[in-house]
Amino acid sequence: MIDGIRERLARRRSDRVVVGVVASLAILVPLGWLWVGSLVPQTYSVMDMGYPDYGGGPGDPGHTAHALAGPVVRPGDVPVTELTGPRSSQPDVAVTLVARQESVTLATGETVEGYTLNHESPGPLIRAQQGELVEVTLVNDSIVDGVALHWHGVDLPNAEDGVAGVTQDAVVPGERHIYRFVAENPGSYWYHSHQVSHEQVRGGLFGVLVINPAEPRRDLDVVAAVHTYDELRTVNGATGESRMTAAPGEAVRVRAVNTDNAPLDVAVVGVPYRVLAVDGRELVGPNPVTGASVQIPAGGRADLGFDTPTDGSAVRVQLGTEGDTALLVGPAGAQAPSADPAEDTVDLLSYGSPAPLGFDPDDTDRRFDYSIGRRPGFLGGIPGLHWSINGHVFPDVPMFMVREGDVVRMTIENHSGEIHPMHLHGHHAVVLSRNGTSASGSPWWVDSLDVASGDTYEIAFVADNPGIWMDHCHNLPHATEGLVAHVAYTGISTPFLIGGAAHNEPE
Amino acid sequence: MRSTYRTLAYLIAAGVALQAASVALGFFTIIHEVEDGGVITAGYDYDSNLGIILHRIGGLGVIPLSAIALLVVSFFTKVPGAVRRAAAVFGLVLLQIALVFLAFMTASGGALHGLNALAVFGAAIWAGWRVSHPTVVDHGEMAALEDQATATSP
Repeated sequence: MIDGIRERLARRRSDRVVVGVVASLAILVPLGWLWVGSLVPQTYSVMDMGYPDYGGGPGDPGHTAHALAGPVVRPGDVPVTELTGPRSSQPDVAVTLVARQESVTLATGETVEGYTLNHESPGPLIRAQQGELVEVTLVNDSIVDGVALHWHGVDLPNAEDGVAGVTQDAVVPGERHIYRFVAENPGSYWYHSHQVSHEQVRGGLFGVLVINPAEPRRDLDVVAAVHTYDELRTVNGATGESRMTAAPGEAVRVRAVNTDNAPLDVAVVGVPYRVLAVDGRELVGPNPVTGASVQIPAGGRADLGFDTPTDGSAVRVQLGTEGDTALLVGPAGAQAPSADPAEDTVDLLSYGSPAPLGFDPDDTDRRFDYSIGRRPGFLGGIPGLHWSINGHVFPDVPMFMVREGDVVRMTIENHSGEIHPMHLHGHHAVVLSRNGTSASGSPWWVDSLDVASGDTYEIAFVADNPGIWMDHCHNLPHATEGLVAHVAYTGISTPFLIGGAAHNEPE
Repeated sequence: MRSTYRTLAYLIAAGVALQAASVALGFFTIIHEVEDGGVITAGYDYDSNLGIILHRIGGLGVIPLSAIALLVVSFFTKVPGAVRRAAAVFGLVLLQIALVFLAFMTASGGALHGLNALAVFGAAIWAGWRVSHPTVVDHGEMAALEDQATATSP
């Protein structure tokens, strides 16, 4: 009797241990699996990242490996290193930029720790005429992490795109790298580091590039590069109000460049203005705007045109709703109107007049979804709430595969709770619709598009620039947190590696 | 196993207290930055804010991992009610993370996140205290005592 009870108890005890072990494994094994799956090797090729997404177009039988196993250069592939700008001809514009890690003294005297080009931040303003060959020699004097220069918004050959680990190796101290490209599309652009970019851009490693049209314009051309150093918002490196001299009644074009990680509201106070261009593309039939601001996404640009008042007063270009950063444009010493927060925002979806796009977005070869969410999980072994693309967390993200000549439609949807400025390298895409409402204004070409949480944009572009191009969030810390994908052309591969001997770290 | 269980449970409770401290530190850091004229936007460098860093490490690292460990340990702790209490802590921690999602969507979710923190704290204390007070009789323990009585009677 007692033996029977002892046996029953012993059995119950061992059952209990078995149940405990099984229950523990049921919790720990999936977690361990997810954790191991999230680990990213120190060195890998972006070609190897995630999974290919053919968008309903023809596949690429060679591109199947995606185990982060090493460089993927297949016989017959064109390496990105061959997709260069003109190598031999004489440059029309030649600039040498020496990059340093040092204190930055702002134009208004404040000092911040950061990065400079030729001891300046912002770096030198580069102006080129349409059709000119630009040659920039980047020299790294003292940036320990290395440096690379990306030409934001310029649809140049892939090898000149300046992304460490994708189109080149980071330039280590003492080394140099030469970028050569033809300035094709007139407009406002900027350049910035694409190596450890979330730190280097924030610290001031950037500058503005303006491509003037071949036919010179008569208006006064003013650059307003907005950057926030250590919570100090500046325009062209100066905090507070900056002045730009213009005659009464003079036509002015202000090129507002948002080099920050957050959207920037720009408003013109004192006169009506027009949005002349967005992201280096002129808008068609821009109508006058009063009492509304233009929201420029992180990395985006907007050219605003106005005539200064004939009564001799100045115009206030208010840069951001927070703080007092502004550009006052008018005769020297002229009174400017006080800041007046705009109630409305110009909706570029319906601004200006429709015009032919130059291609048929309905004749689609590939359709991609770029759905941005947030998911609990591991990123590089670290638990957290991480950005997801189409439900996957980095590095298990889609590689959008295209062929040269494809018409590509992409639906960008955001349900992550935060706004994301999405930036596609090497291409301009046209906005077709937002939340089901078709674009009804001027063709709205973008390289940087703010997608607010809850919004869905449909964009289209022609795959006309072979290479491997980043397609990422330009709130640069978000990119380090995994909000990065690539558009890759079949038959192109990169010999460069993330990590590797050059310690490439593009985000 | 009992002392491990108790240590983990009280570690979670202490963790919740530190979470309250760190989130207040983070919030007041931002207030000071704003009052000093800082321009704070979506480009804000959260990694410059010690309170937010600590809250993230505690909330997405230390506490969830401790809650998982507590649940695993509970399977091997011969204290009636240990599994139930560890599961309650674990479930409330999951709810706490779900409320972060809600808070990113609508700020009022943050209020629920703050309230649920008290529930996590209470459940963790409840679990830890259970091990130190095994004489308190509940239904599970009554059954165990009855089993024991049956086993030892001739």
